[in-house]
Amino acid sequence: MSPDTESMSVCGCDPASLRELRAQRLLHREAELLDAWQFEEWLELMTEDLRYWAPVRTNRMWRERSRSISMPGESAHFDESLDQLRERVDRLATHMAWAEEPPSRTRHLVTNIRVEPTADPAEILCRSNFLVYRTRSERDMDQVVGTREDILREVGPGEFKIARRTVIFDMATILVKNLSLFY
Amino acid sequence: MNVDIDGLFDFDAGMVCAEIFVDEDVYKLELERVFGRSWVFLAHDSMIPRAGDFLQTYIGEDPIVVARQKDGSVRAFLNQCIHRGMRICRADEGNARSFMCSFHGWTYDTAGNLTGVPHEKTVYRPNTFDKSTRGPRKVTRVESYKGFHFGTWAEDAPSLLEYLGDMAWYFDAYIDRYSGGLEAIANHRWIIPANWKLKAEQFASDALHAEISHASAIQVMTPKGTETAETNHAVRAVNATGHQFASPYGHGTGWFDVPGSLHPDPVVANWENEQRENVASRLGALRADTARGHATIFPNFHFLLNGTFRVVHPRGPNEMEIWAWTMVPAEAPEPVKENYARSLTRTFSPSGMFEQDDAENWAEIQRILRGKVARGVRLSYEMVHDPLPSGASEFPGYVVPANYSDVAALGLYRHYADLMSSHTWAEAVEMKLQREAAK
Repeated sequence: MSPDTESMSVCGCDPASLRELRAQRLLHREAELLDAWQFEEWLELMTEDLRYWAPVRTNRMWRERSRSISMPGESAHFDESLDQLRERVDRLATHMAWAEEPPSRTRHLVTNIRVEPTADPAEILCRSNFLVYRTRSERDMDQVVGTREDILREVGPGEFKIARRTVIFDMATILVKNLSLFY
Repeated sequence: MNVDIDGLFDFDAGMVCAEIFVDEDVYKLELERVFGRSWVFLAHDSMIPRAGDFLQTYIGEDPIVVARQKDGSVRAFLNQCIHRGMRICRADEGNARSFMCSFHGWTYDTAGNLTGVPHEKTVYRPNTFDKSTRGPRKVTRVESYKGFHFGTWAEDAPSLLEYLGDMAWYFDAYIDRYSGGLEAIANHRWIIPANWKLKAEQFASDALHAEISHASAIQVMTPKGTETAETNHAVRAVNATGHQFASPYGHGTGWFDVPGSLHPDPVVANWENEQRENVASRLGALRADTARGHATIFPNFHFLLNGTFRVVHPRGPNEMEIWAWTMVPAEAPEPVKENYARSLTRTFSPSGMFEQDDAENWAEIQRILRGKVARGVRLSYEMVHDPLPSGASEFPGYVVPANYSDVAALGLYRHYADLMSSHTWAEAVEMKLQREAAK
C-alpha cells in the first residue's frame, strides 16, 4: 500500500484531499512559526535546495502585460537560497536589526490554498494567497497582500517541505517602508 | 509663504534646524526653487534604448514622460494633457508611437507634440485653434552626461557639465570605469514616510551611520571563519583613512581609501579586482583604487559603489518615493551581473538588509518632528575638517581628508540655502562668488 492509500484508509480522504490537507497544515504551521518569531524552526520547513523568489511588478499597457511581472534574473524583492535566508534570520537574531528591534507583531493570514500534482510524483504545486498584517512601535501599521506559488516536496511519508517559493506582491510601488520579514 | 532660510542654518557652527524636514512652506518653496530649477535625473540610455521607448518619471512632484526619438535624441515633457489636465501616459514604461489621453482622446507624439484632436475640424474654430501651440509643457532643457539624461525647467541654469563641475570626475569613478559603460537591469520602488533630504544628505556625507545602523547586516554578511580583520571589507573600510568632496552646487561624495574591490559578493569582487588594470588605464590609479563610496548629485540622484543608482521623488515634506536601479557593467559576464543584482536585492532594496534599517531611522526622525519643540531643534553637523591645500592631492575640488565628516552635507545645504533664497540662477551664483571673495 502506498502511504496515500494507507492514510486514506485511516482518515477516509481521497488522495487529492489528503494532499490538500497536508499542504494546508504545512502553510498554517509556517504562518504560526513566522508570527511567533520562531525563524529557526521556520527554516526547517524548507528543503536544502530552496529557491525563495519574489519578482517585481510594473504598470504596463495591456499589450505589454507579459512584462508586468519581472522574470527570473530581472528585478526581484527576494532572490534567496536557504543559506541566504538563514543570513536574514541570523540578522534578526543579532537584535541590532533596528527595523525589527523592538520586534514587529505580525499576523500571516493564508487563504485560497489550491493544490495540484506535478510531473514529479514527489512534488506538488501549491498556490495560496496571503495577507501579512504588521504593527510595530507605538502606532505603525501596514499590510502586505499577495499570492504565492510553492513547490512542496514529500521528504518522508506524508511529510512535505517547501522546495520553491514564488511570492508575488500585489503592489507595484511597495507602499510600506520595508519588507523586513518573510512572506 | 514666509520662510526665513537664513534662520534655518548656521553654517559656521554646523547647525541645521530640523524645521527644514517638516515645514509645509519650506516644502512648497523647494518644489519651486529646488526642483523647479535644478538638473534632475530623468533616465539612462539603457532604460530607453530603442526609438519609441519611454518611461514615466518625476521632477519633484511633476510627472514627466521621457522618450527616445527616431533620431536617437531623448525628449521629456510634462505628463499632463493640455486639454483638461489628465495624465497622458499611465504605464511606467514601454514602447509607443504616440500617447493618447484617455479622457477625450487628444493624442501626442513621443516628443510631446499634439498631433490629433477628435472632431478638430468640426468643433473647434480653425482660425483660433492651432494644434502646434497646444501641447504639454516640454522640459525646458534636457542634457546628458555619458548616457545619463538630466532635465531642468530653468532657462538660466548653468549647463549640465558646468553644474556637475568637479563632481563629474567623481561621477566617472562610478559610471565610466568600464569600456561598455553601465546598464540598468533591475528597479525597485518604494516609499518611506520621511523627508527626501534625509536621503540626500546621507548619500552625500554620512558614512558614520553604517557601523551602528547597519551593525546587524555587517555582522551576518561576514562569512564565518573565513575572514580576518585584514580581509573583511567592512572592517577594512572603517579602519582606513577616507575623504569627502563637497561641491559648490550641492553635490557630495565620500569614500574610504581602500584599494581592491569592497564588494561583499566574492564573484563580483574577483571580477572587479581582475579589471583593476583596465580601470587604471581609463581613469588613472587614484580612481581605480579609491574615490568612490557614496554620492549625491544635488538634489535627488544618489548612488553607491555597489551599483545602486536611485532618484528620490519628494512626496510632501513627510514622504519620499525611492526608485532604485541596479546598474551593472555592460561588459561583465552574465554570472557577475546576476550577482551584482542579487547582492543589491539582499542589501539595498525594500527587503535589503541595509536599507531596512535606514527606513526605520528616517521614519522615526520624521514622526518626532510633529513635535513643536522637536522641529525647532538645531541638529549637529559639527564634524568639520579643513580642506586639503590646493595641489596637495589629485582629488579635484573641495576635499577633506576624512570620510567621517559633515562637510558634504553642509555643502549640500549651503547650495540648497542659496537656491531657496534666490529667484534666479545668477543671484544664486553671485552669493557663492561673494562668499569666495570674502574668504
